[in-house]
Amino acid sequence: MKRSVTFALFFVGIALYCLVPFLWFVLTSLKSSAELTAIPPKLIPSFHWGFYQSALEKYGLLHYIVNSVIVAGLATLITIVIGSLAAYAMTRFQLAWTHVYLLILLAISMFPQIATAGPVWSILDRLNWLNTYQGLVAAYIALSLPLAIWILTTFFREVPREIEEAALIDGCSRFQSLYKVILPLAAPGILTAALLVFIYAWNEFFFALIIMTDPTVQTLPVGIALFPGEYTMPWGEIAAASTVATVPLIVLTLIFQRGIVRGLCAGAVKG
Amino acid sequence: MPNAQKFFCLAFSLCLYWPNAWAQNSELRFVTWRAEVPKVWDEAIADFERQNPGIKLVREVGPQSSTQIHDLLTQKLKNRDPRLDVFFMDTIWPAEFASAGWALPLDRYFTAAERDKFLPAPISANQYRGQIFGVPLFIDAGVLYYRKDLLGKFGLAPPRTWPELVEQAKSILAREQGSGLVGFSGQFKQYEGLICNMMEYILSGGGALWDEKRMVSALQEPAALEAVRFVRDRIIGEISHRGVLSYEEPESLALFTQGLAIFHRNWPYAWSIVNDPAHSKIAGKVGITPLPSFSGAKGVAALGGWQLGISRFSAKPDIAWRFVSFMTSEQIQKRIGLATGRAPTRTALYEDAELTGKMPQLRSLLDTFKQAVPRPTTPVYVPLSNIMQRYFSSVLALPNTDIKKRASLAARDMNRLLDLLRERQMP
Amino acid sequence: MKGTDRAAVLFLLPSFIFVGVFSLFPIFESFRMSFYQLILTLPWLGQKMVGWQNYVDLAEDPVAIESLLTTLVFVGVTIPLELLFGLGIALVLNEAFHGRGLLRAVVLIPWAIPTVVSSQMWRFIFNDRYGLINFIFFGGDVSRYLAPLADPHLALIAIMAAEIWKTTPFAALILLAGLQGIPDDLYEAASVDGATAWQKFRHVTSPLLKPALLLALLFRTIDSLRVFDLVFVMTQGGPADTTNVLQFYGYKKTFAEGMVGYGSAIAVAVFLMSLVFSLAYLRFLNPSRQEA
Repeated sequence: MKRSVTFALFFVGIALYCLVPFLWFVLTSLKSSAELTAIPPKLIPSFHWGFYQSALEKYGLLHYIVNSVIVAGLATLITIVIGSLAAYAMTRFQLAWTHVYLLILLAISMFPQIATAGPVWSILDRLNWLNTYQGLVAAYIALSLPLAIWILTTFFREVPREIEEAALIDGCSRFQSLYKVILPLAAPGILTAALLVFIYAWNEFFFALIIMTDPTVQTLPVGIALFPGEYTMPWGEIAAASTVATVPLIVLTLIFQRGIVRGLCAGAVKG
Repeated sequence: MPNAQKFFCLAFSLCLYWPNAWAQNSELRFVTWRAEVPKVWDEAIADFERQNPGIKLVREVGPQSSTQIHDLLTQKLKNRDPRLDVFFMDTIWPAEFASAGWALPLDRYFTAAERDKFLPAPISANQYRGQIFGVPLFIDAGVLYYRKDLLGKFGLAPPRTWPELVEQAKSILAREQGSGLVGFSGQFKQYEGLICNMMEYILSGGGALWDEKRMVSALQEPAALEAVRFVRDRIIGEISHRGVLSYEEPESLALFTQGLAIFHRNWPYAWSIVNDPAHSKIAGKVGITPLPSFSGAKGVAALGGWQLGISRFSAKPDIAWRFVSFMTSEQIQKRIGLATGRAPTRTALYEDAELTGKMPQLRSLLDTFKQAVPRPTTPVYVPLSNIMQRYFSSVLALPNTDIKKRASLAARDMNRLLDLLRERQMP
Repeated sequence: MKGTDRAAVLFLLPSFIFVGVFSLFPIFESFRMSFYQLILTLPWLGQKMVGWQNYVDLAEDPVAIESLLTTLVFVGVTIPLELLFGLGIALVLNEAFHGRGLLRAVVLIPWAIPTVVSSQMWRFIFNDRYGLINFIFFGGDVSRYLAPLADPHLALIAIMAAEIWKTTPFAALILLAGLQGIPDDLYEAASVDGATAWQKFRHVTSPLLKPALLLALLFRTIDSLRVFDLVFVMTQGGPADTTNVLQFYGYKKTFAEGMVGYGSAIAVAVFLMSLVFSLAYLRFLNPSRQEA
């Protein structure tokens, strides 16, 4: 009995800790203009959709979302493909330098993004890829590959060689064995890596800010950061846009949460 | 207009899905910030395109904050991006952009005769080493807003000196207990606006930010130290609250429009907002007056405002100039003024009946505008500003800091930067 | 083996290209630039090779030193707290109970929110007029409301609170994974021996949790040393530079002031700090396992 009570307390405590700040913001987005600036702040809103309407019509929220979906989706897809190829090579081919490559990747991922942003911008400029989807996606691929390769390598390593050897004897090419044998068995790892990359690309701010200056291709974080106008701070619209920005991620995490936990589980213990 | 707008939107979006190469020939790229009243801009641009068939104007929207849009622009300019033609410059950038070789000298387009039609202070802010690099579009200068009703209730006239302002605020606060009122709302966050606010105190007390002739910092001079001490101990300490240390314009204005502040320092744009019942609880109860000073002489207003510049790497400077001259023309400045409340830079417009009818405060502000003081023009303004922001913010935020010591540290850093300029004998 | 080598290179080529062009090259550029004096707004000074001068200046720059201390305080406070809270959450989630799946999903929410959204949200929560924090502490008594983001003593704490909230789920998940890897029979054996919950934790859980803990420590430290979005949105380094973390200072120097050489030196300094922490971690971990 005592255990249940303390347990329940912890449960509620944790839930509140994680939920309340976000819930507050969501409730804010449902207020009317007058309620927003009420001092002291009102806790229960009047479920007014005005800010959402304004965010959609005046601030173009929808197309920011579309841009984010395109950029994050492409980045995730391509990163997983390239990362899988690399992870396969590193776990299946006995190469002395794969160890080094992994460490280099780790080191690269430590470098502050403000320093690399400038040169990356110049490269994209020379390629004529500024303000294009492919430009930002290319930058994100490079930024996510280290993490993706680390995770995928860890998982691919767990797939027993015998299964693959059997496939190779049966006449599969290397590529086919990757596609047909390894991928299904390493699915949790791929799922984890994909979700992490997607979340990273969806949330990334700094590179998006300097690479995408054309409003038609700007992604959601940049879009929200540009909501403040010449002389207003539209908290209501920002709260509304933020809710819309976060809901897809929450849905994704809810759907895949078992996979994620299992993925990080195996990864963390072994890797 | 809806048809024109629809056509414009369609053309605009079609344009972007067309291959780059084709679009580039007829495309003019303009970096701006998100406008509060987009309609007047959309219409102006649509008119420009109508008058100049074959030219498409592509807008790139940067952040609203002056510092952030500055960083965005410099990123493009330092990489000599040829796809940037026209951009907005804050009043403190022309010297920097000119020195770095980013802004195109406009002397051949912007003749002396034409320049005379503009207010003198913004023009000189756009000049560097004898050439002109931007065309002013709006002018801003610090002004004091006050609650007419509250001052009237206690029979007070708008203050002429800062100490008078503090006394008036204190007396009103004492008699309006429990109203949640604050004496003064200004912008004291660690950002560029802080320099504007502080220089208004320092210069009106006879001090300066730095000595432009000798190229040394003036922060450790007694006049400057006194002014800073006054702000810390009397303005923030006695009649304001600590929140102002995190305020930029929007937050400080919100405090005033909520009816919670007696005095408010801001730019002229706030006038239309405080008198708009949809956004303000004190519509009709506000007065506007020049800023006070310390000695009773004229107060000092910081010069602000935005100008249009042309990139030196633009492939089509002539077309870019056509756009710049169109946007700064009398007709467009008047339209923008009527729609947004922004003060124009052409002197003639201050006599315009329609404009002054809608914005009666313009006539009285003209003097203030004519005497507004620009922040010192120098290519290293941004680093100097950062040093000063750091100094002001640390002194204002901590009540017991040694002002003199921090001032001399800041001065030392500023002098090191100013020394870099000495070898070129900067103006 | 040649065939294998060729295939290997082919498989690795795409990642080499991306990483090489968009990561390695920019990093080398930054390293290179840190040895020059380059001030964009003073082009007549040219691009002078100054060797170690930028680093020497950095070591003597009081703002940089303060910035380093701020960053270290930030890392030193947020990491242990995140791990502590994360451990608490992980221990709860490790137990079987009704609604565990739901709680797990709820725990993931702070992590799922974009950083810039989270920063705006916390900025609003700490607002001196409409903020939730003021309401919770002072109710309707507006005159006592604080302005955490304007107070030099509180601003860094506010930023750290926002950071801890956002990253606790990540720590919780990694630690949960570690906990779930500990075999149940160890706990049973301990129970048979009469161990209390605390003793079980000390002697069974802690030692076996070490790898997961150190993994969380590594990733979080690397990210934490480079914190930027939070400061950029919430305080822009102020008030009085009290939230001026190193990466933000580097940003201002490079992008705002055009001092590219100096800014690059700051970036390299941050990188070296991450490297030192990571090497320490790997060294600490190495004796007990083979790691690739």
